[in-house]
Amino acid sequence: MKTAYINNEPHEIKDGETMLAFIKRFKGEKHVPTLCDAPNLDPFGACRVCSVAVALEEDGKTKTMASCHSPVAEGQYIYTDTASVKKLRKNIVELVLTDHPLDCLTCEVNGNCELQDVAAQVGIRDVRYPAGANHLHYTKDMSHPYMTSDLSKCINCYRCVRACDEVQGEFVLSMSGRGFDSKIIKGSDNTFMDSDCVSCGACAQACPTSAISDVFQSKSVVESEVTRTICTYCGVGCNLDVSTSSGEILSIQAPYDAEVNQGHTCLKGRYAFKFYDHPERLDSPMIKRNGTFEKVSWEEVYTYIADKLGTFKKEFGPDSIAGISSARCTNEENYLMQKFIRAVIGTNNIDGCARVCHSPTALGMQQTFGTGAATNSIDDLKDTNCIMVIGANPTDAHPVTGAKLKQFAMKTGNVSIVIDPRRTEIARYATHHIPLRPGTNVAVLNMMMYYIITEGLADESFIGSRTEGFDEYKKEILAIDLDQIEGICGVDRNIIKEAAIAYAAAPNAMSFHGLGVTEHSQGTFTVMQIADLALLTGNIGRRGVGVNPLRGQNNVQGSADMGVQPHQGAGYMDITKPEVNLQYNKFYGVEVPSAIGYKIPEMFDAALEGKLKALWVIGEDIVQTDPNTQKVIKALNNTDLVIVQELFMTETAKQADVVLPGASFLEKSGTFTNGERRVQAVRQVVEPVVGAKVDGQIIVDIMNKMGYAQPDYDAKSMLDEINQIVPFFAGITWDRLGKNGLQWPVAKDGTDTQILHKEEFKIGKGQFIFNNWRETEELVEHAKDYPYILTTNRELEHYNCGAMTRRTGNELILKDDYLMINPEDAKEHMIKDGEFVCIESPRGKVDVKARITDEVKSGILSTTFHFPDIMINNLTGDIHDSEAKCPEYKVVAVRIRKSKGKYKTLAEA
Amino acid sequence: MSKNLSELSGRKGIEESLFDKMGQLAQERGTPSVEELDQLADEFLIGKANTFGTATFYDFLKPENQGKRAYVCNGTACVCAGTQDKVTKQLEKHLQPSEIGHMTCLGRCHENAAFNYNGKNFSGKALENLDQIIGKETELNSDTYHVKSGANEILTNPFSEVDQYYAPFIDALTKDSKSVLEEIKISNVRGRGGAGFPMGLKLEFCRNTENATKFIICNADEGDPGAYSDRYLLEQRPHSVLFGMLIAGYVTHASYGILYIRAEYPESIQIVQDAIDALKEKGLIGRNIQGTEFSFEFKIIQAQGSYICGEETALINSIEGQRPEVRVRPPFPAQQGLFNKPTIVNNVETLAALHHIISNGGSAWKAIGTERSSGTKLVSLDSFFNKPGIYEVDMGTPLATVFNEFGGGFKSEVKAVQIGGPLGGLVPAHKIDALTLDFESFANEGFLLGHASVVCVPQDFPIIQFIEHLFDFASYESCGKCFPCRLGTKRGQEMASQAMNSDYKIDRELFHDLLTTLEEGSLCAHGGGIPLPVRNALEYFDDELKQYFNS
Repeated sequence: MKTAYINNEPHEIKDGETMLAFIKRFKGEKHVPTLCDAPNLDPFGACRVCSVAVALEEDGKTKTMASCHSPVAEGQYIYTDTASVKKLRKNIVELVLTDHPLDCLTCEVNGNCELQDVAAQVGIRDVRYPAGANHLHYTKDMSHPYMTSDLSKCINCYRCVRACDEVQGEFVLSMSGRGFDSKIIKGSDNTFMDSDCVSCGACAQACPTSAISDVFQSKSVVESEVTRTICTYCGVGCNLDVSTSSGEILSIQAPYDAEVNQGHTCLKGRYAFKFYDHPERLDSPMIKRNGTFEKVSWEEVYTYIADKLGTFKKEFGPDSIAGISSARCTNEENYLMQKFIRAVIGTNNIDGCARVCHSPTALGMQQTFGTGAATNSIDDLKDTNCIMVIGANPTDAHPVTGAKLKQFAMKTGNVSIVIDPRRTEIARYATHHIPLRPGTNVAVLNMMMYYIITEGLADESFIGSRTEGFDEYKKEILAIDLDQIEGICGVDRNIIKEAAIAYAAAPNAMSFHGLGVTEHSQGTFTVMQIADLALLTGNIGRRGVGVNPLRGQNNVQGSADMGVQPHQGAGYMDITKPEVNLQYNKFYGVEVPSAIGYKIPEMFDAALEGKLKALWVIGEDIVQTDPNTQKVIKALNNTDLVIVQELFMTETAKQADVVLPGASFLEKSGTFTNGERRVQAVRQVVEPVVGAKVDGQIIVDIMNKMGYAQPDYDAKSMLDEINQIVPFFAGITWDRLGKNGLQWPVAKDGTDTQILHKEEFKIGKGQFIFNNWRETEELVEHAKDYPYILTTNRELEHYNCGAMTRRTGNELILKDDYLMINPEDAKEHMIKDGEFVCIESPRGKVDVKARITDEVKSGILSTTFHFPDIMINNLTGDIHDSEAKCPEYKVVAVRIRKSKGKYKTLAEA
Repeated sequence: MSKNLSELSGRKGIEESLFDKMGQLAQERGTPSVEELDQLADEFLIGKANTFGTATFYDFLKPENQGKRAYVCNGTACVCAGTQDKVTKQLEKHLQPSEIGHMTCLGRCHENAAFNYNGKNFSGKALENLDQIIGKETELNSDTYHVKSGANEILTNPFSEVDQYYAPFIDALTKDSKSVLEEIKISNVRGRGGAGFPMGLKLEFCRNTENATKFIICNADEGDPGAYSDRYLLEQRPHSVLFGMLIAGYVTHASYGILYIRAEYPESIQIVQDAIDALKEKGLIGRNIQGTEFSFEFKIIQAQGSYICGEETALINSIEGQRPEVRVRPPFPAQQGLFNKPTIVNNVETLAALHHIISNGGSAWKAIGTERSSGTKLVSLDSFFNKPGIYEVDMGTPLATVFNEFGGGFKSEVKAVQIGGPLGGLVPAHKIDALTLDFESFANEGFLLGHASVVCVPQDFPIIQFIEHLFDFASYESCGKCFPCRLGTKRGQEMASQAMNSDYKIDRELFHDLLTTLEEGSLCAHGGGIPLPVRNALEYFDDELKQYFNS
């Protein structure tokens, strides 16, 4: 045991720890004051307030050292409060106060200011210096919907600059000038609004004063309660501390002790919460009569729904009814919804938002590994040497994980490979970028495997002991046509070869993939190739490796886990197997159906064929976000009863016959499961807005109304039901979830799992299953007449259909969908930046504003579908992943021309 | 200090230096445009704030530098000599006031009346010939100073020619680099930049840090007003510096040598570049030098006007194109320096010593000087001496000998000399006899040998003004990172200025608190060093100063 002394008391030291960390461990956070140190930032040594006296022997001659960046060494005697050290701290803070407005009483952070606390701690009573130069004249920056600054309050601790650099990796903040005149700048000394700020708020949270803050004054609000819950946006699953007072949400901060996000989150999680009490929130159940919605009572609407569903079930059979649940719902609500559809209605026509995003991931990984979920955890980034990001733009779509990946990519010793048609933010920093033509993932991955095999980099021992089917697979891989692949993917084979070698040569390599993998006609096959790439190189079953889908929505993982799928029940059990259904029958007390139900696109087809009579959709705007908008609308119009449970009058809700006002994540409890299988507690922050109900309760009410006894919705008791039927939830109880949740599978005793497939796969051996590249039918059929490829992407500021984010300050930051177009293509069509481009596909036309950028290659266009005014999905088509039926959003054959904006709105289309 | 910025800047290697590019962009108008800085930020993926933040730090990159054509030296020696008001007035006859800026010490302390015009330095009588200088191509930028050595002529030894001079290097390449390092350790040569750290230990530290990429940096940012011994070596003995860097590279397994030379020494930059070209021509640098495993390349980085860049970690940040703010240690540069790679930073004079050590063995150097301060030392004397110039003396030589026998005594009576730059001690005239020229003697007497530059404070120069000048300099050149230095130097300057110009009396306790705060609290020797001369002044000139203090 190595020992050092704090005020002559011996304590054990840890290797590499600073004196400050050492002191904090034994004397508490505040024992030694500091102004520039922060929990999530590297030691910086600016304020010097943390100085301590250090001697080599007891009460020996001391040297003053800043404890924050001085490593503690064996045998040191650290004195934290000698007279000279106390005087030094006081004198430094006195100097700080010579250039600080002493207007504490009216200051935003009064009572919650670190400078104030430290000044009190060191005992400042007056400032003895004569009046001198200062920076009190700096004016406030209120340009931004969220971020604010008042640099007259700045103490130059650099915490904001470091947070922007070390946490977010955005480099928006720095210092200008030097010495006494140095001043925090945003960009080239711009306002927040004019800078490249991504509004993550890390700087505001880091600032010890009110020099950088936000419009919610989140550091300093006087809350009566803080509730820790989980973000409703992406699959990262950030923990949020929500401050409330008198039932009103004041602000959101990111807790430092959150394992998922360590004190960080993005502008959606931190700031985009004001949708929850937006005046447009639905406030009553409504039934459409004669084309107009009429507000009705809950009792009336329940009776109406139960009667109709009962009638359809009787007249047309249970299969005439279908349900769509989503990530807007907790695990418990998703579980209830599938239970309702299976046990009360008696059909397997239940599907969810996973269909349109990661259904190929679940299916592909189930086939190769046996489990359709991330093999590892994001924290493994600390132990990997190589990341491969395929078809994902994490800095926009998964900002906190994206920031971590970017931090990884910036370090030159690390290898980063990005396979993406776009030069995304992460691609700009990557060691290798393969800018392939959309729709050629399988070809490129096969080529990578070809080179790994021919370069002798395959992990023979892993292949031998843990996999099956390699010999046949190898034969197929070695037979691929490299010339053809190079031709179709449009990338020099040497670039692909280098990346392949880099991935295979890394001691530990992790892959991450997104919708650029799944939303293709060969989506499932691509996932299988990614999985096989990991098998080929032995990158499975330990820290720092694995296949890690970046699950899109907050709880898309959970919705599938809970059985919101037409072919598998809660816990991924095959509902076609009688022995499985026996289990369900016993548990639900009714006989469940054993025929596979409709996937979402099949529901639309059934509707158009007149086979679907009723559809209940919870929290998913299928009209705006599913492909081929006009077809979706027709399908809904052809369904007798469309029930839409929503927060707002979305495009889908407009097409409904019955609208039910549901609750936002801030208004209900339950659990969300993030992309790394982490089940975390969502804790109700406020009561649902007047007229709305918790979604789970609505389902329960209808279950009861239709004669199935189900107790009222309650997260704790629901989990107690789920952990009996879902094997990997066996040990999950509400009380065990704690602050940071549990990663499934969770054993009965509560032990959770960070890494899957350590010893063996669920299906025994990992499977090598070869699939050759095939051109998508979309291009085979239409490329001749529609020569451009349109692909779709996400923007940081908005989430999916935008129903939530468009009703927050985010709307002021990004107001429109836009089209990314290469300068060459723009020039050819005489399109200038900001002008409308008419995009036409075999399905329809829309007008979108052009943003000219070399982020996309010539011939490739990319756009978002966050805004209903544009309705990009008028263009997308009916091609789906051949296996999982996930729509091919990523390859749409289009032609373009300059336009005047005639096709801008759906109505005009 | 940002690890990310170090990495991103390092991606392009030293050849495509971000900092160099900023300097080039400033050449035409005196400052890069915001658009150009934005573009650079994009190219290096480091964010607009960082290029803007860096540019605004430096005297010769910041927007205020736009359109400057001439710079008046405001270094201590010129200020004490009282020549600079005239220089400004004379220049204003030819140029707009807005076209005239300041440079802090052009290294013309022996002639004074120094100014820079159109990339050349002038001093002494040049001012009388402005007609031939402004708007003209001229050779009037030359200067003269005495150069002489004592018993051992080593650093001032006349240069022979390249082949002969580099023969010991070729010879060293045939030896085990460990044994070469051993000689350096035996010599006990200590850093000449001021801190006096044993060079051999530093080299060994770097040698033992595993990394495929390492750097040798020559710190030629001789910012101490009053010092021009590095300028002498760079301009008169450039090969001694390059030789030292090659040896340092050989013993540490570094393959890159970077000379960070201050912009205030335009002539030095050209001369060193010519010397590098000569080595290239002779095949003495490049890949696999003389058929050995050893490869080495040189690159000159021109500084852009900031005293703090003489601090080694600030210098590293500067080369990276980051704001030259001082880094915390550990990590030490020898472990994690330039681009986060192991890096040696040594002063010009330290590197120049290696030729003698390698040629004659470490013990030959060790035999010169005192037990703990071995070898010879260059001393620069300013124009208050009858024979201003650069003198090479054995360590341990009495200061009086240097002043009287070499410098020929003072032209007129001085009340004190400041030795070792603005952070060096203020030695009152009566203490000169008590000092010998070595690290220990100075330390024992409460002074600092530093770089051994000598600036005289004339009898009629008020000490309060000297204190104000020191604080002003310290404040102006503070990087601004640590609180004590950023705020304390400013408050010190303000107090001295108010006491000097009004009936304000400085509170003695407050003043001492300020000095202690700077000494104990500062991150680096800049803020930590400025109290030394101020305390010397308080101790030795109390009679003169007490009128400015209460009680």
